[in-house]
Amino acid sequence: MNDPILSVRDLTVKAHLPDGVRTLIDAISLDVRKGEIVGLVGESGSGKSLFCRSLVRLMPSSRLRIESGSVLLEGRDLTAVSDAEMLKVRGAEIGMIFQNPTSHLDPVMSIGDQIAEGIRYHQGASARDARAAAVDILSQVGLPDPARQYDSYAHEFSGGMRQRAMIGVALSCDPKILVADEPTTALDVTIQAQILRLLMEIRDRRGLSIILITHDLGVVAQTCDRIAVLRGGRLLEEGPKRTVLSTPRDPYTVSLIASHPSIAAEGGPAPAEAAPIAATIRPLLEVDDLHVRFASGGGLFGARGKPVSAVAGVSLRIMPGESVGVVGESGSGKSTLARAILGLTPLSSGHVSFEGVDLAQQKNAALFKLRHEAAMVFQDPYNALNPRMRIGDMLAEVLRVQGATPVAEIPARIGALLDLVGLEREFADRKPRSMSGGQCQRAGIARALAVDPKLIIADECVAALDVTIQAQIVELFRALKRKMNLTLIFIAHDLAIVRNLCDRVVVMYRGEVVEEGLCAEVFARPKHPYTAALIAAIPDIDPDRPLLADIRCDPPPASPHILERLP
Amino acid sequence: MTVQASAPLALRWHRFFGGRLTLVVGLAILLFFLLVAIAAPLIAPYDPILQGADVRLQAPTWLHPFGTDNFGRDILSRVIWGTRIDLQIAVIGVLFPFLIGTTVGTVAGFFGGPVDAIFMRLVDIILAFPFLVLMLSIIAILGPGLGSFYIAMALVGWVSYARLIRAQMLVLKNSDYAVAAVSLGFSRARIMFRHLLPNAIAGSLVFSMSDAVLVLLSGAAVSYLGLGVQPPVAEWGVMVAEGQSFVTTAWWITLFPGLSIVCLAFGFSMLGDALGEVFGVHE
Repeated sequence: MNDPILSVRDLTVKAHLPDGVRTLIDAISLDVRKGEIVGLVGESGSGKSLFCRSLVRLMPSSRLRIESGSVLLEGRDLTAVSDAEMLKVRGAEIGMIFQNPTSHLDPVMSIGDQIAEGIRYHQGASARDARAAAVDILSQVGLPDPARQYDSYAHEFSGGMRQRAMIGVALSCDPKILVADEPTTALDVTIQAQILRLLMEIRDRRGLSIILITHDLGVVAQTCDRIAVLRGGRLLEEGPKRTVLSTPRDPYTVSLIASHPSIAAEGGPAPAEAAPIAATIRPLLEVDDLHVRFASGGGLFGARGKPVSAVAGVSLRIMPGESVGVVGESGSGKSTLARAILGLTPLSSGHVSFEGVDLAQQKNAALFKLRHEAAMVFQDPYNALNPRMRIGDMLAEVLRVQGATPVAEIPARIGALLDLVGLEREFADRKPRSMSGGQCQRAGIARALAVDPKLIIADECVAALDVTIQAQIVELFRALKRKMNLTLIFIAHDLAIVRNLCDRVVVMYRGEVVEEGLCAEVFARPKHPYTAALIAAIPDIDPDRPLLADIRCDPPPASPHILERLP
Repeated sequence: MTVQASAPLALRWHRFFGGRLTLVVGLAILLFFLLVAIAAPLIAPYDPILQGADVRLQAPTWLHPFGTDNFGRDILSRVIWGTRIDLQIAVIGVLFPFLIGTTVGTVAGFFGGPVDAIFMRLVDIILAFPFLVLMLSIIAILGPGLGSFYIAMALVGWVSYARLIRAQMLVLKNSDYAVAAVSLGFSRARIMFRHLLPNAIAGSLVFSMSDAVLVLLSGAAVSYLGLGVQPPVAEWGVMVAEGQSFVTTAWWITLFPGLSIVCLAFGFSMLGDALGEVFGVHE
């Protein structure tokens, strides 16, 4: 093979903290050849992002320093060049794209101008030439109407389009190496497949080298040529994709591969749990032809836009003790459905009845019942807890308002709740700000349990968490379900998690249920093409099972994205 | 991750100390003025309204460290006694607008719809008039005096607080913890005042400190126009106004009360900054 374009030798980065020096990157050596995609895999904290930032000396803090080692880009040592020279390297030779395109695109500058800016700065092109070149790049990254979309702003784009635009910005300087830091983690699985395919196309067309940082071995298996596994700042294992995946040497790599959902599915969750429920039992929750519509736009003085259907005719029956996953991409109406069921969003038409009490007809009775027997767990653990309240006070308040626990027993009950969700009792005195995302989510679950609910609706409650923490929270739900005979509605866009946790799955698309059935059944033999596309878009860990060649590429309608955020 | 987490930690330490310093300085200044106000009868060397024909317009001397005014009154004593009135103006002139504005803003922001529309149009109406013109008209109707000033301040000053709190409430009422509170069966009053208001109020508290400065200055302006504190009562604004015609010949008459206003204002804004740091308004 050809010589490496980038050759990192014994790169060591240390943090100089007030309480001592910590080694964050420990003598990592890695080569990247021309036209090669190298996958950096590891959990958060493994140093994979820091490693890539160190290449271009974009240190997240002034306390971090490259202590030793070299970064040879085509023979030139980047650790030795001046800061001024480094400015030319960044972008022009090593481009970067990030997980969250929203925060890395300038909101007040048009997408095209952001691309043209790089072209003018690094290539000295005239404004007219730069514009033409930028339009060309926009079409290369797969925007359908580049000439018009040149003048669009980031907020007018969907998540996938933004990521395309950001790849365009990175390409604008014609880099030799592209560093992609978790570029698809924030995207729906179908969009993820599109972006991954785009990266491979660009590699083929431009002979670009790509360093792809990810926690998902499936993504690596589908796109990369070589894999490097990082943990705790050390390179555990490195080699060609097939070698590493089929004969991993390091035990950590073995466990990573074993825990990948596409593998776990082979064994499958014991479907015995989903024992057929006797027809005589009344369903806990019945949803019948539910519609939820929002007025779109609409000014101060009438002139309302025509209403948008977020939920369009959904019917569901949920039995006591069942756990049901609701999946679909963002904008499919999953969250609106959850809020409508709990009476947090007005129903436009149709019925929701909880233990036989109808929310539309006996509103007060149903709301009373829901408030005392159902609870919700939210996506963003920090936003879901009142930042000014200690966890203990928060739980005490719920217990007092609910009124089922005698005042004298409240402290004991708080302790029991914290035990239940696996938090130390000292967390009662902590505020959310001093807790990690996973701990906050556990506190959020404790709050839901304080109601002593029959039904818990978890709305994307692991989407904002790290993979390892995700697994812990899912495990917690599984344990709670077993212990307390909870009925669980688990909303997620991550099919693998639903497959792991739930008995039944409901697939939503544009406000409608397109398929429902037992998990094992649906995942093995999807009936609806959309479900099939969703499942096919999960990157499989087996490199010989490529991503489904062509998934429906029409972007989801813009308005439901906004609707998700409405109360 | 550990590294990225340590950076904000260092930043927080810095904020904590930085916040502490301004907090200490601000509190020290306000405490100093409070003590001066309380101890005025003990520490003022002369009667603040006692006139002395023989000591008119004297430059600062050991006998009269801040000099005397055109009636021969001791400026130091007048500044000390004036502290009482000016502190009172700053506190009362902020407290009532703050309470009214916070309540209105909370209710308007939380309920939205017609309630919000009505209150906000009222705010617009009040804001449509120049601040001082509206103040003066109200005082003119009620008759000159400090009491009228406070009433006028309460009627006009609440709009800023109402707007600040309302804007916060509009954001916070859509937060997940507000939705969670609804889903847990909390009453609306509890959600409004126990959960949302404490999170919304920080910005207004900080603003109230700089507002205290503005109130102090409007108090001085109103007194200057003869509608607030009536001579011969010692009040800094009145003193500045009275000394104005002697600025070129007897600078000390305006300088010392003016400096006092600046110092007290400085103390309030330091405290405001510190509160902002403590509440994390700037995050």
